Amino acid sequence: MQLYLPIAEIPVNMFLIFGMGGAVGFLSGLFGIGGGFLLTPLLIFSGIPPAVAVATVTTQVVASSASAVMTYLRRKAIDLKLGTMLLIGGIAGSALGVLLFDLLQSLGQLDVVISLSYVTFLGAIGTLMFVESIRAIRRRKTGVAVRARRPGQHNWIHGLPLKMRFRRSKLYVSVIPILVLGAGIGFLGTVLGIGGGFMMVPALIYLLRVPTGIVIGTSLFQILFTMSAATVFHAIGTQTVDLVLALTLMIGGVIGAQFGARVGQNLRGDQLRLLLALLVLGVGLRFAIDLLIVPDDLYSIAITMGAGA
Amino acid sequence: MIVRMATALILCWALAGSQPGRAEELVASVSSDTVSIQSNFTGTEIVIFGQVIRDTNTIGRRGTYELAVVVQGPPQDITARRKGRFAGVWVNRDYEQFRDVPAFYAVTSTVRIGDMADRVVLDEHEIGLNHLNLAVSGSSAVPLSERDDFREAFLRLRQQQGLYSERHGAVEFLTETMFRTTIPLPANIPVGNYLVKSFLFQDGVLLSRTESDLFVRKTGFEQFTFDFSREYSFVYGIVAVMLAMFTGWLAGVIFKKD
Repeated sequence: MQLYLPIAEIPVNMFLIFGMGGAVGFLSGLFGIGGGFLLTPLLIFSGIPPAVAVATVTTQVVASSASAVMTYLRRKAIDLKLGTMLLIGGIAGSALGVLLFDLLQSLGQLDVVISLSYVTFLGAIGTLMFVESIRAIRRRKTGVAVRARRPGQHNWIHGLPLKMRFRRSKLYVSVIPILVLGAGIGFLGTVLGIGGGFMMVPALIYLLRVPTGIVIGTSLFQILFTMSAATVFHAIGTQTVDLVLALTLMIGGVIGAQFGARVGQNLRGDQLRLLLALLVLGVGLRFAIDLLIVPDDLYSIAITMGAGA
Repeated sequence: MIVRMATALILCWALAGSQPGRAEELVASVSSDTVSIQSNFTGTEIVIFGQVIRDTNTIGRRGTYELAVVVQGPPQDITARRKGRFAGVWVNRDYEQFRDVPAFYAVTSTVRIGDMADRVVLDEHEIGLNHLNLAVSGSSAVPLSERDDFREAFLRLRQQQGLYSERHGAVEFLTETMFRTTIPLPANIPVGNYLVKSFLFQDGVLLSRTESDLFVRKTGFEQFTFDFSREYSFVYGIVAVMLAMFTGWLAGVIFKKD
Protein backbone atom coordinates (compact mmCIF):
# COMPACT_ATOMS: atom_id res chain seq x y z
CA MET A 1 0.00 0.00 0.00
CA GLN A 2 1.42 3.34 -1.02
CA LEU A 3 1.39 6.18 1.47
CA TYR A 4 2.16 9.77 0.54
CA LEU A 5 4.52 11.51 2.96
CA PRO A 6 3.47 15.14 3.38
CA ILE A 7 6.90 16.53 4.30
CA ALA A 8 9.17 14.26 2.24
CA GLU A 9 6.67 14.77 -0.63
CA ILE A 10 7.09 11.29 -2.00
CA PRO A 11 4.96 8.17 -1.72
CA VAL A 12 6.44 5.15 0.07
CA ASN A 13 5.35 1.58 0.56
CA MET A 14 3.71 1.64 3.98
CA PHE A 15 4.43 -2.02 4.73
CA LEU A 16 8.09 -1.65 3.82
CA ILE A 17 8.49 1.24 6.27
CA PHE A 18 6.43 -0.57 8.90
CA GLY A 19 8.60 -3.67 8.41
CA MET A 20 11.82 -1.67 8.74
CA GLY A 21 10.54 -0.10 11.94
CA GLY A 22 9.61 -3.56 13.19
CA ALA A 23 12.94 -5.18 12.29
CA VAL A 24 14.99 -2.39 13.84
CA GLY A 25 12.64 -2.39 16.84
CA PHE A 26 13.27 -6.12 17.25
CA LEU A 27 17.04 -5.56 17.28
CA SER A 28 16.72 -2.62 19.64
CA GLY A 29 14.68 -4.73 22.04
CA LEU A 30 17.17 -7.58 21.68
CA PHE A 31 20.27 -5.49 22.36
CA GLY A 32 18.81 -2.71 24.48
CA ILE A 33 19.80 -0.02 21.97
CA GLY A 34 17.82 2.76 20.29
CA GLY A 35 18.52 1.46 16.83
CA GLY A 36 18.78 4.88 15.20
CA PHE A 37 22.15 3.99 13.69
CA LEU A 38 20.45 1.14 11.80
CA LEU A 39 17.20 2.86 10.93
CA THR A 40 18.62 6.06 9.47
CA PRO A 41 20.85 4.26 6.92
CA LEU A 42 18.02 1.86 6.04
CA LEU A 43 15.71 4.78 5.30
CA ILE A 44 18.37 6.56 3.25
CA PHE A 45 19.12 3.38 1.26
CA SER A 46 15.41 2.99 0.55
CA GLY A 47 15.15 6.42 -1.05
CA ILE A 48 13.99 8.74 1.74
CA PRO A 49 15.88 12.05 1.48
CA PRO A 50 18.73 11.98 4.07
CA ALA A 51 17.53 15.17 5.76
CA VAL A 52 14.05 13.70 6.31
CA ALA A 53 15.46 10.35 7.43
CA VAL A 54 17.75 11.90 10.06
CA ALA A 55 15.13 14.27 11.48
CA THR A 56 12.35 11.70 11.54
CA VAL A 57 14.43 9.01 13.20
CA THR A 58 15.02 11.37 16.14
CA THR A 59 11.24 11.29 16.66
CA GLN A 60 11.16 7.51 16.35
CA VAL A 61 13.94 7.23 18.96
CA VAL A 62 11.76 9.26 21.37
CA ALA A 63 9.01 6.67 21.04
CA SER A 64 11.27 3.66 21.41
CA SER A 65 13.11 5.05 24.44
CA ALA A 66 9.92 6.31 26.15
CA SER A 67 8.57 2.86 26.92
CA ALA A 68 11.98 1.62 28.07
CA VAL A 69 12.49 4.64 30.36
CA MET A 70 9.16 3.87 32.03
CA THR A 71 10.30 0.35 32.79
CA TYR A 72 13.63 1.54 34.25
CA LEU A 73 11.87 4.25 36.29
CA ARG A 74 9.65 1.61 37.89
CA ARG A 75 12.76 -0.41 38.75
CA LYS A 76 14.43 2.78 40.07
CA ALA A 77 17.43 2.05 37.83
CA ILE A 78 17.95 5.64 36.69
CA ASP A 79 20.24 8.24 38.21
CA LEU A 80 18.03 11.25 37.56
CA LYS A 81 20.63 13.78 38.69
CA LEU A 82 23.32 12.36 36.42
CA GLY A 83 20.76 12.04 33.62
CA THR A 84 19.75 15.69 33.99
CA MET A 85 23.36 16.86 33.85
CA LEU A 86 23.94 14.79 30.71
CA LEU A 87 20.73 16.24 29.33
CA ILE A 88 21.81 19.86 29.83
CA GLY A 89 24.93 19.15 27.81
CA GLY A 90 22.85 17.14 25.34
CA ILE A 91 20.43 19.95 24.53
CA ALA A 92 23.27 22.39 23.93
CA GLY A 93 24.99 19.85 21.67
CA SER A 94 21.77 19.14 19.84
CA ALA A 95 21.16 22.83 19.07
CA LEU A 96 24.70 23.11 17.68
CA GLY A 97 24.07 19.95 15.68
CA VAL A 98 21.05 21.42 13.88
CA LEU A 99 23.11 24.49 12.95
CA LEU A 100 25.86 22.33 11.47
CA PHE A 101 23.28 20.12 9.74
CA ASP A 102 21.78 23.18 8.00
CA LEU A 103 25.22 24.44 7.00
CA LEU A 104 26.38 21.09 5.59
CA GLN A 105 23.13 20.70 3.70
CA SER A 106 23.58 24.03 1.97
CA LEU A 107 27.20 23.16 1.15
CA GLY A 108 26.14 19.82 -0.33
CA GLN A 109 28.44 17.92 2.00
CA LEU A 110 25.84 16.50 4.38
CA ASP A 111 25.81 13.02 2.87
CA VAL A 112 29.56 12.58 2.94
CA VAL A 113 29.84 13.85 6.52
CA ILE A 114 27.08 11.46 7.61
CA SER A 115 28.81 8.57 5.84
CA LEU A 116 32.26 9.40 7.20
CA SER A 117 30.93 9.78 10.73
CA TYR A 118 29.13 6.47 10.49
CA VAL A 119 32.30 4.74 9.30
CA THR A 120 34.37 6.32 12.07
CA PHE A 121 32.02 5.81 14.99
CA LEU A 122 30.55 2.49 14.02
CA GLY A 123 33.99 1.16 13.12
CA ALA A 124 35.54 2.25 16.40
CA ILE A 125 32.69 1.21 18.70
CA GLY A 126 32.11 -2.02 16.78
CA THR A 127 35.76 -3.02 17.06
CA LEU A 128 35.87 -2.21 20.79
CA MET A 129 32.72 -4.20 21.46
CA PHE A 130 33.92 -7.08 19.32
CA VAL A 131 37.24 -7.38 21.18
CA GLU A 132 35.56 -6.98 24.56
CA SER A 133 32.89 -9.61 23.90
CA ILE A 134 35.41 -12.13 22.53
CA ARG A 135 37.47 -11.67 25.70
CA ALA A 136 34.38 -12.11 27.85
CA ILE A 137 33.44 -15.31 26.04
CA ARG A 138 36.99 -16.65 26.45
CA ARG A 139 37.01 -15.75 30.14
CA ARG A 140 33.71 -17.52 30.63
CA LYS A 141 35.05 -20.64 28.87
CA THR A 142 38.38 -20.71 30.77
CA GLY A 143 36.66 -19.89 34.03
CA VAL A 144 38.79 -16.89 35.04
CA ALA A 145 37.01 -14.64 37.53
CA VAL A 146 35.83 -11.30 36.14
CA ARG A 147 37.50 -8.29 37.67
CA ALA A 148 35.08 -6.46 39.92
CA ARG A 149 34.71 -2.68 39.96
CA ARG A 150 37.11 -1.13 42.38
CA PRO A 151 35.59 1.98 44.01
CA GLY A 152 38.96 3.52 44.79
CA GLN A 153 40.15 3.31 41.20
CA HIS A 154 40.63 6.75 39.61
CA ASN A 155 41.60 8.12 36.22
CA TRP A 156 42.43 11.67 35.05
CA ILE A 157 38.73 12.53 34.78
CA HIS A 158 38.35 12.27 38.51
CA GLY A 159 40.90 15.03 39.01
CA LEU A 160 38.83 17.76 37.32
CA PRO A 161 37.24 20.61 39.35
CA LEU A 162 33.52 21.44 39.93
CA LYS A 163 32.79 18.15 41.60
CA MET A 164 29.28 16.99 42.25
CA ARG A 165 27.88 14.07 44.20
CA PHE A 166 25.67 11.53 42.45
CA ARG A 167 24.19 9.34 45.17
CA ARG A 168 22.51 6.68 43.12
CA SER A 169 25.60 6.11 40.98
CA LYS A 170 27.86 6.27 44.05
CA LEU A 171 29.98 8.85 42.25
CA TYR A 172 31.72 12.07 43.22
CA VAL A 173 33.01 13.57 39.98
CA SER A 174 33.39 16.85 38.12
CA VAL A 175 30.39 17.97 36.02
CA ILE A 176 32.70 19.03 33.18
CA PRO A 177 33.19 15.57 31.62
CA ILE A 178 29.49 14.84 32.10
CA LEU A 179 28.41 18.01 30.27
CA VAL A 180 30.97 17.42 27.53
CA LEU A 181 29.87 13.81 27.09
CA GLY A 182 26.20 14.84 26.96
CA ALA A 183 26.93 17.63 24.47
CA GLY A 184 29.08 15.43 22.26
CA ILE A 185 26.48 12.70 22.01
CA GLY A 186 23.59 15.19 21.60
CA PHE A 187 25.55 16.83 18.80
CA LEU A 188 26.31 13.58 16.98
CA GLY A 189 22.81 12.29 17.56
CA THR A 190 21.25 15.32 15.92
CA VAL A 191 23.60 15.34 12.94
CA LEU A 192 23.51 11.58 12.38
CA GLY A 193 19.95 10.80 13.43
CA ILE A 194 20.93 8.38 16.15
CA GLY A 195 20.24 8.23 19.86
CA GLY A 196 23.87 7.49 20.63
CA GLY A 197 23.18 4.87 23.29
CA PHE A 198 25.84 2.63 21.82
CA MET A 199 28.40 5.37 22.52
CA MET A 200 26.89 6.65 25.78
CA VAL A 201 26.81 3.29 27.56
CA PRO A 202 30.53 2.44 27.13
CA ALA A 203 31.51 6.04 27.94
CA LEU A 204 29.56 5.99 31.21
CA ILE A 205 31.01 2.62 32.18
CA TYR A 206 34.63 3.10 31.20
CA LEU A 207 35.17 6.86 31.63
CA LEU A 208 32.91 7.81 34.52
CA ARG A 209 32.70 4.34 36.09
CA VAL A 210 28.95 4.47 36.63
CA PRO A 211 27.67 1.13 38.00
CA THR A 212 26.38 -1.12 35.20
CA GLY A 213 22.93 -1.48 36.75
CA ILE A 214 22.31 2.26 36.50
CA VAL A 215 23.96 2.89 33.12
CA ILE A 216 21.31 1.75 30.65
CA GLY A 217 18.40 3.45 32.38
CA THR A 218 20.33 6.71 32.76
CA SER A 219 21.53 6.60 29.17
CA LEU A 220 17.98 6.00 27.93
CA PHE A 221 16.67 8.84 30.09
CA GLN A 222 19.19 11.23 28.56
CA ILE A 223 18.47 9.94 25.04
CA LEU A 224 14.71 10.36 25.48
CA PHE A 225 14.99 14.03 26.31
CA THR A 226 17.90 14.90 24.03
CA MET A 227 16.06 13.36 21.08
CA SER A 228 12.87 15.19 22.09
CA ALA A 229 14.84 18.41 21.94
CA ALA A 230 16.42 17.32 18.64
CA THR A 231 12.96 16.69 17.17
CA VAL A 232 11.83 20.20 18.10
CA PHE A 233 15.09 21.74 16.82
CA HIS A 234 14.75 19.84 13.53
CA ALA A 235 11.09 20.87 13.24
CA ILE A 236 12.11 24.52 13.56
CA GLY A 237 15.47 24.49 11.81
CA THR A 238 15.49 21.97 8.97
CA GLN A 239 11.69 21.46 8.87
CA THR A 240 12.18 17.88 7.76
CA VAL A 241 10.36 15.95 10.50
CA ASP A 242 7.75 13.87 8.70
CA LEU A 243 4.97 12.95 11.12
CA VAL A 244 3.42 10.30 8.87
CA LEU A 245 6.77 8.57 8.37
CA ALA A 246 7.57 8.86 12.09
CA LEU A 247 4.25 7.36 13.15
CA THR A 248 4.58 4.40 10.77
CA LEU A 249 8.10 3.72 12.05
CA MET A 250 7.10 4.08 15.70
CA ILE A 251 4.25 1.62 15.55
CA GLY A 252 6.42 -0.96 13.80
CA GLY A 253 9.26 -0.19 16.20
CA VAL A 254 7.47 -0.55 19.52
CA ILE A 255 5.89 -3.85 18.46
CA GLY A 256 9.20 -5.25 17.19
CA ALA A 257 10.96 -4.15 20.39
CA GLN A 258 8.66 -6.28 22.55
CA PHE A 259 9.50 -9.44 20.63
CA GLY A 260 13.19 -8.55 20.59
CA ALA A 261 13.27 -8.10 24.35
CA ARG A 262 11.73 -11.55 24.86
CA VAL A 263 14.27 -13.26 22.58
CA GLY A 264 17.08 -11.29 24.23
CA GLN A 265 16.32 -12.78 27.63
CA ASN A 266 17.32 -16.23 26.32
CA LEU A 267 20.76 -15.15 25.12
CA ARG A 268 23.90 -14.58 27.16
CA GLY A 269 25.13 -11.02 27.59
CA ASP A 270 28.52 -11.60 25.94
CA GLN A 271 26.94 -13.40 22.99
CA LEU A 272 24.53 -10.50 22.57
CA ARG A 273 27.38 -8.01 22.62
CA LEU A 274 29.29 -10.03 20.02
CA LEU A 275 26.25 -10.08 17.72
CA LEU A 276 25.70 -6.37 18.23
CA ALA A 277 29.40 -5.69 17.51
CA LEU A 278 29.13 -7.60 14.22
CA LEU A 279 25.97 -5.69 13.31
CA VAL A 280 27.59 -2.33 14.08
CA LEU A 281 30.70 -3.28 12.08
CA GLY A 282 28.52 -4.44 9.18
CA VAL A 283 26.69 -1.11 8.91
CA GLY A 284 30.00 0.76 9.19
CA LEU A 285 31.48 -1.38 6.42
CA ARG A 286 28.52 -0.70 4.15
CA PHE A 287 29.15 3.04 4.46
CA ALA A 288 32.90 2.59 3.97
CA ILE A 289 32.35 0.69 0.72
CA ASP A 290 30.08 3.45 -0.59
CA LEU A 291 32.75 6.03 0.13
CA LEU A 292 35.61 4.07 -1.41
CA ILE A 293 34.30 2.46 -4.58
CA VAL A 294 33.68 4.52 -7.71
CA PRO A 295 30.05 5.71 -7.53
CA ASP A 296 27.60 4.53 -10.22
CA ASP A 297 26.76 8.12 -10.95
CA LEU A 298 29.20 10.92 -10.28
CA TYR A 299 26.49 13.54 -10.59
CA SER A 300 23.71 14.42 -8.21
CA ILE A 301 21.18 17.23 -8.06
CA ALA A 302 19.59 19.02 -5.15
CA ILE A 303 16.81 21.58 -5.10
CA THR A 304 17.98 24.76 -3.42
CA MET A 305 14.98 27.03 -3.96
CA GLY A 306 11.39 26.82 -5.10
CA ALA A 307 8.96 23.91 -4.97
CA GLY A 308 10.27 20.99 -2.94
CA ALA A 309 13.34 22.77 -1.56
CA MET B 1 -13.11 11.34 -17.18
CA ILE B 2 -15.56 10.83 -20.04
CA VAL B 3 -17.76 13.61 -18.70
CA ARG B 4 -14.75 15.90 -18.37
CA MET B 5 -13.70 15.18 -21.93
CA ALA B 6 -17.17 15.86 -23.19
CA THR B 7 -17.34 19.18 -21.36
CA ALA B 8 -13.96 20.15 -22.68
CA LEU B 9 -14.97 19.25 -26.22
CA ILE B 10 -18.11 21.33 -25.95
CA LEU B 11 -15.95 24.11 -24.61
CA CYS B 12 -13.67 23.81 -27.63
CA TRP B 13 -16.55 24.09 -30.04
CA ALA B 14 -18.04 26.96 -28.11
CA LEU B 15 -14.71 28.76 -28.21
CA ALA B 16 -14.41 27.97 -31.89
CA GLY B 17 -17.67 29.77 -32.62
CA SER B 18 -16.57 32.92 -30.88
CA GLN B 19 -13.10 33.23 -32.39
CA PRO B 20 -12.44 36.22 -34.61
CA GLY B 21 -11.31 35.40 -38.09
CA ARG B 22 -7.63 34.57 -38.17
CA ALA B 23 -6.03 32.03 -40.40
CA GLU B 24 -5.56 29.17 -37.91
CA GLU B 25 -6.51 29.16 -34.31
CA LEU B 26 -5.60 26.58 -31.70
CA VAL B 27 -7.88 25.85 -28.77
CA ALA B 28 -6.97 23.35 -26.11
CA SER B 29 -8.38 22.21 -22.82
CA VAL B 30 -7.04 20.22 -19.89
CA SER B 31 -9.11 17.38 -18.44
CA SER B 32 -8.83 18.90 -14.99
CA ASP B 33 -7.32 22.19 -13.95
CA THR B 34 -6.38 20.95 -10.48
CA VAL B 35 -4.45 17.83 -9.51
CA SER B 36 -5.07 16.99 -5.87
CA ILE B 37 -2.49 15.07 -3.89
CA GLN B 38 -3.95 12.90 -1.13
CA SER B 39 -2.49 10.22 1.10
CA ASN B 40 -3.00 7.54 -1.55
CA PHE B 41 -1.51 9.61 -4.39
CA THR B 42 0.68 7.50 -6.66
CA GLY B 43 0.75 9.74 -9.68
CA THR B 44 -1.91 10.43 -12.27
CA GLU B 45 -2.24 11.60 -15.82
CA ILE B 46 -3.87 14.57 -17.41
CA VAL B 47 -5.60 14.56 -20.76
CA ILE B 48 -5.19 17.57 -23.00
CA PHE B 49 -7.27 17.93 -26.09
CA GLY B 50 -8.25 20.60 -28.48
CA GLN B 51 -8.92 21.62 -31.99
CA VAL B 52 -7.35 23.50 -34.83
CA ILE B 53 -9.86 26.01 -36.08
CA ARG B 54 -9.60 27.06 -39.65
CA ASP B 55 -11.19 30.19 -40.92
CA THR B 56 -13.51 29.35 -43.79
CA ASN B 57 -11.60 31.85 -45.89
CA THR B 58 -8.30 30.09 -45.26
CA ILE B 59 -6.86 28.59 -48.35
CA GLY B 60 -6.01 24.98 -47.68
CA ARG B 61 -2.27 24.81 -47.20
CA ARG B 62 -0.11 21.94 -48.14
CA GLY B 63 1.58 19.97 -45.39
CA THR B 64 0.14 18.53 -42.22
CA TYR B 65 -0.33 20.09 -38.84
CA GLU B 66 2.30 19.31 -36.22
CA LEU B 67 1.61 19.81 -32.54
CA ALA B 68 3.64 20.05 -29.38
CA VAL B 69 2.10 20.15 -25.92
CA VAL B 70 4.26 21.25 -22.99
CA VAL B 71 3.40 20.89 -19.32
CA GLN B 72 5.73 23.02 -17.26
CA GLY B 73 6.05 23.24 -13.47
CA PRO B 74 6.98 26.13 -11.17
CA PRO B 75 10.56 27.45 -11.21
CA GLN B 76 13.26 26.00 -8.97
CA ASP B 77 16.91 26.66 -8.29
CA ILE B 78 18.87 23.46 -8.54
CA THR B 79 22.47 22.65 -7.73
CA ALA B 80 24.09 19.86 -9.75
CA ARG B 81 27.17 18.39 -8.10
CA ARG B 82 29.88 16.10 -9.33
CA LYS B 83 31.78 13.73 -7.09
CA GLY B 84 35.53 13.50 -7.17
CA ARG B 85 38.12 11.67 -5.14
CA PHE B 86 39.39 13.59 -2.16
CA ALA B 87 41.89 11.85 0.13
CA GLY B 88 40.76 8.49 -1.21
CA VAL B 89 37.09 9.17 -0.51
CA TRP B 90 34.39 10.11 -3.03
CA VAL B 91 32.95 13.50 -2.12
CA ASN B 92 31.03 16.22 -3.96
CA ARG B 93 33.57 18.57 -5.58
CA ASP B 94 32.49 20.73 -8.54
CA TYR B 95 29.02 22.15 -8.80
CA GLU B 96 26.90 24.20 -11.13
CA GLN B 97 23.81 26.14 -10.07
CA PHE B 98 20.82 26.22 -12.37
CA ARG B 99 18.50 29.17 -11.86
CA ASP B 100 14.73 29.24 -12.42
CA VAL B 101 14.54 25.90 -14.16
CA PRO B 102 11.13 24.20 -14.29
CA ALA B 103 10.39 21.77 -11.45
CA PHE B 104 8.57 19.64 -13.99
CA TYR B 105 8.73 19.58 -17.76
CA ALA B 106 6.94 17.18 -20.06
CA VAL B 107 6.54 17.63 -23.78
CA THR B 108 4.58 15.45 -26.18
CA SER B 109 4.57 16.01 -29.89
CA THR B 110 3.34 14.53 -33.13
CA VAL B 111 6.83 14.14 -34.62
CA ARG B 112 10.41 14.55 -33.46
CA ILE B 113 10.82 18.01 -31.93
CA GLY B 114 13.73 18.85 -34.21
CA ASP B 115 11.62 18.16 -37.32
CA MET B 116 8.90 20.59 -36.33
CA ALA B 117 10.67 23.90 -36.61
CA ASP B 118 13.94 25.76 -36.58
CA ARG B 119 16.17 25.77 -33.57
CA VAL B 120 15.54 29.48 -33.09
CA VAL B 121 11.79 29.01 -32.81
CA LEU B 122 12.11 26.01 -30.51
CA ASP B 123 14.59 27.83 -28.29
CA GLU B 124 12.35 30.88 -28.10
CA HIS B 125 9.37 28.90 -26.88
CA GLU B 126 11.41 26.33 -24.97
CA ILE B 127 9.92 23.36 -26.78
CA GLY B 128 11.86 20.15 -26.17
CA LEU B 129 14.46 19.21 -23.58
CA ASN B 130 17.30 20.30 -25.85
CA HIS B 131 15.75 23.72 -26.18
CA LEU B 132 15.09 24.42 -22.52
CA ASN B 133 16.77 27.52 -21.24
CA LEU B 134 18.86 26.18 -18.35
CA ALA B 135 20.50 29.31 -17.05
CA VAL B 136 23.45 28.80 -14.76
CA SER B 137 24.56 31.24 -12.11
CA GLY B 138 27.47 33.51 -12.94
CA SER B 139 29.95 32.26 -10.39
CA SER B 140 31.18 28.79 -11.14
CA ALA B 141 34.50 27.03 -10.83
CA VAL B 142 33.61 24.60 -13.59
CA PRO B 143 35.68 25.07 -16.76
CA LEU B 144 33.64 26.04 -19.83
CA SER B 145 34.50 22.80 -21.58
CA GLU B 146 32.81 20.78 -18.84
CA ARG B 147 29.65 22.84 -18.43
CA ASP B 148 27.77 20.75 -20.98
CA ASP B 149 28.51 17.67 -18.86
CA PHE B 150 26.61 19.24 -15.99
CA ARG B 151 23.74 20.21 -18.27
CA GLU B 152 23.54 16.69 -19.64
CA ALA B 153 23.74 15.14 -16.16
CA PHE B 154 21.04 17.51 -14.97
CA LEU B 155 18.66 16.53 -17.78
CA ARG B 156 19.49 12.84 -17.38
CA LEU B 157 18.86 12.83 -13.60
CA ARG B 158 15.62 14.75 -13.95
CA GLN B 159 14.47 12.27 -16.60
CA GLN B 160 15.39 9.40 -14.27
CA GLN B 161 13.25 10.97 -11.58
CA GLY B 162 10.41 11.16 -14.09
CA LEU B 163 10.23 14.92 -13.74
CA TYR B 164 11.41 15.73 -17.26
CA SER B 165 10.19 13.86 -20.31
CA GLU B 166 9.91 14.11 -24.05
CA ARG B 167 7.67 11.82 -26.08
CA HIS B 168 7.30 11.82 -29.82
CA GLY B 169 4.25 10.58 -31.66
CA ALA B 170 2.18 10.80 -28.51
CA VAL B 171 -0.25 13.42 -29.79
CA GLU B 172 -3.13 11.71 -31.49
CA PHE B 173 -5.29 13.35 -34.13
CA LEU B 174 -8.86 12.17 -33.70
CA THR B 175 -10.08 13.92 -36.84
CA GLU B 176 -8.21 16.10 -39.25
CA THR B 177 -8.35 19.01 -36.81
CA MET B 178 -9.07 17.50 -33.40
CA PHE B 179 -6.25 16.19 -31.26
CA ARG B 180 -5.75 14.55 -27.92
CA THR B 181 -2.75 13.67 -25.75
CA THR B 182 -2.11 12.40 -22.26
CA ILE B 183 0.71 13.48 -20.01
CA PRO B 184 1.58 11.29 -17.02
CA LEU B 185 2.30 13.09 -13.75
CA PRO B 186 4.57 10.98 -11.51
CA ALA B 187 4.03 10.44 -7.79
CA ASN B 188 6.92 12.71 -6.84
CA ILE B 189 5.50 15.68 -8.75
CA PRO B 190 6.23 18.98 -6.99
CA VAL B 191 3.26 21.06 -5.91
CA GLY B 192 2.69 24.48 -7.42
CA ASN B 193 1.25 26.34 -10.38
CA TYR B 194 1.82 24.71 -13.75
CA LEU B 195 1.36 25.90 -17.30
CA VAL B 196 0.03 23.80 -20.15
CA LYS B 197 1.24 25.22 -23.47
CA SER B 198 0.17 23.98 -26.90
CA PHE B 199 1.92 24.90 -30.13
CA LEU B 200 0.65 24.40 -33.67
CA PHE B 201 3.21 24.17 -36.46
CA GLN B 202 2.95 23.71 -40.18
CA ASP B 203 5.93 23.47 -42.48
CA GLY B 204 8.16 24.77 -39.72
CA VAL B 205 6.01 27.83 -39.09
CA LEU B 206 4.41 28.46 -35.72
CA LEU B 207 0.78 29.11 -36.65
CA SER B 208 -0.75 29.45 -33.26
CA ARG B 209 -0.20 28.82 -29.58
CA THR B 210 -2.33 28.65 -26.50
CA GLU B 211 -1.70 28.45 -22.78
CA SER B 212 -3.69 27.43 -19.74
CA ASP B 213 -3.12 26.98 -16.00
CA LEU B 214 -2.86 23.75 -14.07
CA PHE B 215 -2.64 23.58 -10.30
CA VAL B 216 -1.00 20.75 -8.40
CA ARG B 217 -2.02 20.89 -4.75
CA LYS B 218 -1.88 18.79 -1.66
CA THR B 219 -5.31 18.54 -0.10
CA GLY B 220 -6.83 17.69 3.23
CA PHE B 221 -4.55 16.14 5.82
CA GLU B 222 -1.40 16.36 3.68
CA GLN B 223 -1.87 20.08 3.07
CA PHE B 224 -2.75 20.70 6.70
CA THR B 225 0.32 18.83 7.99
CA PHE B 226 2.65 20.60 5.58
CA ASP B 227 1.28 24.08 6.36
CA PHE B 228 1.35 23.34 10.07
CA SER B 229 5.00 22.24 9.92
CA ARG B 230 5.93 25.46 8.13
CA GLU B 231 3.82 28.04 9.94
CA TYR B 232 3.89 26.68 13.49
CA SER B 233 7.12 24.71 13.36
CA PHE B 234 7.69 24.87 17.13
CA VAL B 235 4.21 23.51 17.92
CA TYR B 236 4.67 20.91 15.18
CA GLY B 237 7.87 19.73 16.88
CA ILE B 238 6.13 19.55 20.27
CA VAL B 239 3.24 17.59 18.73
CA ALA B 240 5.74 15.15 17.19
CA VAL B 241 7.41 14.62 20.57
CA MET B 242 4.06 14.19 22.36
CA LEU B 243 2.90 11.71 19.79
CA ALA B 244 6.14 9.74 20.09
CA MET B 245 6.03 9.70 23.90
CA PHE B 246 2.39 8.68 23.85
CA THR B 247 3.10 5.82 21.41
CA GLY B 248 5.99 4.65 23.57
CA TRP B 249 3.93 4.91 26.74
CA LEU B 250 1.01 3.08 25.14
CA ALA B 251 3.27 0.26 24.01
CA GLY B 252 4.69 0.05 27.52
CA VAL B 253 1.18 -0.28 28.97
CA ILE B 254 -0.05 -2.80 26.39
CA PHE B 255 3.00 -5.05 26.61
CA LYS B 256 3.57 -4.61 30.34
CA LYS B 257 5.31 -7.68 31.69
CA ASP B 258 6.26 -6.98 35.27
